[in-house]
Order: sequence, then C-alpha cells, then structure tokens
Amino acid sequence: MWNEIKNFFVGARRSTSKEEAKGRLHLVLAHDRAGIDGAKLQELRAEVAAVIRKYVEIDPEAVEIHIERVSPQDSQLRVHSPLPTRPGVSAG
Amino acid sequence: MGRAIVITSGKGGVGKTTATANLGCALAQLGHSVVLIDADIGLRNLDVVMGLENRIVFHLVDVIQGRCTAQKALIRDRRIENLFLLPASQTDDKDAVKPDQMKALIIELKASYDYVIIDCPAGIEQGFRNAIAGADEAIIVATPEVSSIRDADRVVGLLAAQSTPTRLMVNRISPAMVKRGDMLSQADVIEILALELVGAIPLDDEIVATTNKGLPAAINGRSPAARAFAELGRRVAGVDVEEEVRETGVGFFARLGRALGLSPA
Repeated sequence: MWNEIKNFFVGARRSTSKEEAKGRLHLVLAHDRAGIDGAKLQELRAEVAAVIRKYVEIDPEAVEIHIERVSPQDSQLRVHSPLPTRPGVSAG
Repeated sequence: MGRAIVITSGKGGVGKTTATANLGCALAQLGHSVVLIDADIGLRNLDVVMGLENRIVFHLVDVIQGRCTAQKALIRDRRIENLFLLPASQTDDKDAVKPDQMKALIIELKASYDYVIIDCPAGIEQGFRNAIAGADEAIIVATPEVSSIRDADRVVGLLAAQSTPTRLMVNRISPAMVKRGDMLSQADVIEILALELVGAIPLDDEIVATTNKGLPAAINGRSPAARAFAELGRRVAGVDVEEEVRETGVGFFARLGRALGLSPA
C-alpha cells in the first residue's frame, strides 16, 4: 500500500522494465543491423588479436571487441587492446 | 495517379490487417477512392475484418492469372462510398503470384483509385516480396514490445534496400503501462527505429468488439482507437500535417483511480 501511495506522488520507479527493454533492443539491433552474431564477433576478435600481435607483444585474451551504438542510425565496432607499457616488456 | 501503400511489420499478430481496414475506411471517409488488397495468399483475413467475407466471388490470384478483370473482382463496401476490397485466395500458394505481376496490377489500380493499400503477410519471404513490390511507400506497424520492434527493424532494412519511403505506426499503446514505466512509449519506439511517426493507436477493447462484428472501428467510431485511426488517415492524406501525433497520456483521475485500486492498471 505504501508503495502505491509513494508511486502515486513521486511517479514511476527508477529502474523500469521499459528501460531494460530499450537497452536490450539497442544491443540486439546493433548486431542485427551489422549482420554479426556473437560467434562471428568472437572469431573476429581472435583474428584481430592475432594481427595486433604481429606488431606488438600483447596478451591475445585481453583484446576486447564489441558493437556500440553511437546514434539511432549508426553503430561502431570497438576494439580495446592493451599495449605494453615499455617496448619489449610483455603487458600480459 | 494514386498512391500505393503497403502495411507491413515482419512479426505476425501486431495489427496489420486491422490497421489496413481502418486506414482504408478513414481515407474513404475523407472522400478518397480506396482499394484494399489482401496480399496474404492462403491465409486471407482482411475480408472478415471488413465484414465482407460473404460477398467474395473472385480473388487476387484470379486477377493475376487472367481469369477475370480487377474491376470484376473488387468488392464494393456498401457502408462507405468509394471503398473496395480485393480479397486474397484462400486455396492458392504464395508463389501463385510474382512480384512483377503485383507491380503491374497495382499500376493498373492506381490509374483509377486514389489509394491502394496492401495488407502484407507476416514474415520476410515470398509473400512479403510480392506485397512490397508495387508499393510507393510503406507503413510499419509495431507494438511497443521487443519482439515486434526487432522484427520491424529487419523489415525497415529490407525496405530501405529497395528505397521505399517508410513511416511508423505504433499500435496498442497502453498509456497506463507507459506511465508506470512498464511499456515503451511511442517516443521510445520512434527513437529506436529512427522512423517518422504517422500514427499512434491506443490499446482499446473496442477494436476486438468491432472486429467481432466485421465493422471496422473507424466507420463512424468514437472510441480512442477509432479516433486515432481517423487521425492516421488524415496524416496519410496530408491533412493536419503540422499537428504532432498526440502522445496518449494518463490524466490525474486515472492515476488516482489506479492508486486507489478503482480502475485497472
């Protein structure tokens, strides 16, 4: 009962199911639009890590890749890779 | 030369046929001549939603395969001036029709009628390909749910690939649930799909009741959905274009009633 009264005066709760739906949709649509599913993305990650490793000594497992929505129309592929702090010293 | 508009969604059960019937009625009531085409071959339903199921003699496949003329197959609605239905065949297969044949038929109809509204089947296969082939523009019907919006986005991509201008109709919005934060608002759906809004239809029991009777709500209806469909018709026809589509809100008394448990959520 208290919640009902509170909601009535304060308005809707903070974390709503609608916000969850929005977040999930943005992620799913970014993948759908790019035509890349999770498995393909992991394959790409491994290949990108191998390429980076040809130039810099890095831990291939530390390379991260994901699709990020930058505007309603556009998404970006983001690659995060650690770099060795000093040349020749492994960052791993 | 008339305009051909396809009503599509990807997902089934979101209200394409109801939207087609009501948009057709709304446009005809504005004084335009309208042909509704049921492109869902094998699963026809626009006839029952329109209440014209007992008057079918010829259908779309008869016309396409040259067994009769388009004029002969059209069923005239006796309740509204200048409203016609071309029903689908219930016994044929989707591939009884080819996209080029649909295109030719729609061009023929556009020469004599102001609007040709095509009710697209669910899915993105052959039936969809046929339904969008002759369309000058598309209206995507989406309900404020993740599955509907995801499928709508796929269809938007397919329509963009053939450069068909596309607008959005959000269907079955429950203002109370939106207010509570448990339903995406029309603004949320617009933002996610990045489409221009052409109509927002509230969830309304009257739609079920009028469909039971085969009398589309937009025919002289005064219910919230009937009025929203009339507004959709005006926007499609380009009347009242400067007016924003209303955000269906919840008033103070509705909130009070809900808080006190007097009215449904």
